[in-house]
Amino acid sequence: MAPILEVDRVVKRFGGVAAVNDVSFALEPGRIYGLIGPNGSGKTTLFNCITGVDRPDEGQIRFKGQRIDRLKPHRIFHLGLGRTFQVIRVFPELTALENLLVVTTSDYDEARERARALLARVKLDELADEFAGDLSYGQQKLVEFVRVLMTDPELILLDEPAAGVNRTLLNELLDAVRQLRDQGKTVLLVEHDMKVVMGLCETVFVLDHGEKLAEGTPGVIQADERVIEAYFGR
Amino acid sequence: MKRRAPIALLVLAAALALYPLEATGYGLRVMLQLFMWIALAQSWNLISGLTGYVSFGHVVFYGTGAYASSLLIVKAGLPWPLACLGGGVAGALLALIIGWPCLRLRGPYFAIAMLGLNEVMRVVVSYYEGLTGGGNGLSLPTLDASLAIYYAMGLVAAGVTAVAHAILTSRFGLRLMTIREDEVAGEAMGIDTLRYKLYALVLSAIGPGIVGGLSARDQGYIEPISVFPLIMTITMIVMALFGGKGTIWGPVLGATVLFLFQEAVWARFVYLHQLLFGAIIVAVVLLMPRGILGVLQQKYNLPRTI
Amino acid sequence: MVGQVVISGLLAGSIYAMVALGLGLIFGVMRVLNVAHGPLLMLGAYTTFWLFQWLGLNPYLSLLVTMPALFLVGVLLQGTLVRRVVDAPELSSLLLTFGVSIALVNLAQLAFTSDLRSVEYLTGSFVVGSFAISKPRLAACAFAVAITGASFVFLRSTRLGKAIRAVSQSREVAQVCGIDVQRIHLLAFGLGTALAAAGGTLVAVMVAIQPEMGQVYTFKSFLVIVLGGAGNYPGALLGGLFLGLVEQLSSLFLTAQVNEAVAYVLLVLVLLVRPTGLLRGRV
Repeated sequence: MAPILEVDRVVKRFGGVAAVNDVSFALEPGRIYGLIGPNGSGKTTLFNCITGVDRPDEGQIRFKGQRIDRLKPHRIFHLGLGRTFQVIRVFPELTALENLLVVTTSDYDEARERARALLARVKLDELADEFAGDLSYGQQKLVEFVRVLMTDPELILLDEPAAGVNRTLLNELLDAVRQLRDQGKTVLLVEHDMKVVMGLCETVFVLDHGEKLAEGTPGVIQADERVIEAYFGR
Repeated sequence: MKRRAPIALLVLAAALALYPLEATGYGLRVMLQLFMWIALAQSWNLISGLTGYVSFGHVVFYGTGAYASSLLIVKAGLPWPLACLGGGVAGALLALIIGWPCLRLRGPYFAIAMLGLNEVMRVVVSYYEGLTGGGNGLSLPTLDASLAIYYAMGLVAAGVTAVAHAILTSRFGLRLMTIREDEVAGEAMGIDTLRYKLYALVLSAIGPGIVGGLSARDQGYIEPISVFPLIMTITMIVMALFGGKGTIWGPVLGATVLFLFQEAVWARFVYLHQLLFGAIIVAVVLLMPRGILGVLQQKYNLPRTI
Repeated sequence: MVGQVVISGLLAGSIYAMVALGLGLIFGVMRVLNVAHGPLLMLGAYTTFWLFQWLGLNPYLSLLVTMPALFLVGVLLQGTLVRRVVDAPELSSLLLTFGVSIALVNLAQLAFTSDLRSVEYLTGSFVVGSFAISKPRLAACAFAVAITGASFVFLRSTRLGKAIRAVSQSREVAQVCGIDVQRIHLLAFGLGTALAAAGGTLVAVMVAIQPEMGQVYTFKSFLVIVLGGAGNYPGALLGGLFLGLVEQLSSLFLTAQVNEAVAYVLLVLVLLVRPTGLLRGRV
């Protein structure tokens, strides 16, 4: 099967420093991938390059065979690639429901039904008409999560979904991610919580100082000496 | 409440329509100006209140409309109602031309660019003396159309408020608000923020364009300083802020309260009046950033579409 | 011709650079666009005028008064008003300083009237070869260079100066390093205002003093910051000189009135083409 996402020798510099330095990998559809690495290793920058927030200085990024590294974020979204953010970015003065509604251009009633269904899936249907800014941290995280699903994207990038989330909520999220995979979607997540990554992801990429250090199943990665060194110092 | 509102509005509209029968020349003038300020404050609200992109030079659309419409009357012989609509078109075109590059800038940069734009237009108008009469101004053929202009201004004020209502109750409005709330997230969620900002700016320029034309027709004479004054931008902003930006009736409330107060109390003392406006802006930003309606909305849990 | 333009440009540019550095400090440290910067410059000019009028004080000596006095005004503004909107959406600080600027200009109108004033202290030019160098401009440039130079020494070498630069780069990191960010904010605003005041004093000898005189300096300072890059303090210097040169150059081809618009057009152009500035800076 053709890869759904190809990151091809991407380089991104800020000032004189290469935040992402010649990184390449490919994602097969229908699997859950993890991206890990110590702080400052370039994970978020890479995410930003993939989603169009930043433009790579060198290299290409292809989604379903089509180049996306020069497209604006909203175009990339409409091609079927969605993301959540490390720092929650819900629209605080819109209700939870409205947060989802703004995303689609489809028929209003249809969109409303879909939004309510998605909120129900994460047990937030009671709070649909609350302002997103008034919800708890965990609830906001869930809203952001289902918001991305409104247009049924094929590839979903999750930026630290487990950060600051309690156990129960985390399990719900992880279940939801597995459900997505079972539906044929592809998920790439950036995470610091190793238990989450090892328990959820089928393949893991490791970044260190902007370079791809290793790639493999969780078991292989955990045993890789270079990875251990990167995390715990030389 | 919901069923009574349209009736109340109809009654109000009827009262305003019949007002000229009873009014003195001065009274007519006052209401005419009030309509103008409502239209201006509400128009400013469409871009700055909804998207959060503060337009510091919004009067540029007013001035452009004034000149475009006056030139259409003087040089092309158009009847003034059509010419004023032309003023609106001119405002919209300017918004399109300037918005396309400038709306890519972030908040403060856009605000200053708009401020600069106002000055540039003033200089441009002065420069093309042959066409616009430059610093000597432009005179329109004498005509007393106060009554007709009263109704025209009223229609524009109502129209812009109706547009605000339509936007705030639609998904289009929600999308505009995401620009204010979190533009990066909006982009990530598939909203072409540049396009939406452009729509909002163009919509916000039509009102001032038409009103500029109407004002020019009413006064019979315009010159660069009179139609591009910073004080008009300031007044629009104060009115919308005070009443509540981002709401439907906020600008109407703010315009009404501040204008009537101004007329009754301090219009004679120009500098004091402007000083007070400056102080009000500071006070509103610090104490009630959402304006009067915003405060009421929070206190009594009123809907957003107020 | 060209030589004259270059000289005039550099002389004018040095003042732009100094005043813009003031705005740049405030923007760099707090991300607040101080729309009241021009009116603060105007207050400096008026202070110099009144000191000259009543006490016969040498305008250049009055720098010793206007700079500290307006430093305090700046600290007051920051401490009472601006502090409350530093963390609010940028829109709020923009509107706040806008409100303050309107208030200041109109206070000046009420207090001083819009009659034009001037400080007749130094007039005329030196003639050197085929160049005419205006005396007040030269003096202004000399002081501007001295003050700006001192500012840079302060920023580079003193503990407080380094703290300012640290906060400009990252407030969180600076806090973690034990820097009292609130104090730095006060200091930066005060310094920024003092630099504006210095500009007002120097300019008072050359131009007509009236309440609205500052507006154009707010704008040009902003342009200089954009040219040099936000947070890039040396960039502000180059930006200021650049603006001075461009204005003088274009005055050869354009009428005085149209020349006013040059700065504005330049700003729009730069914002569109390279919003991070001609040098490297953060948007």
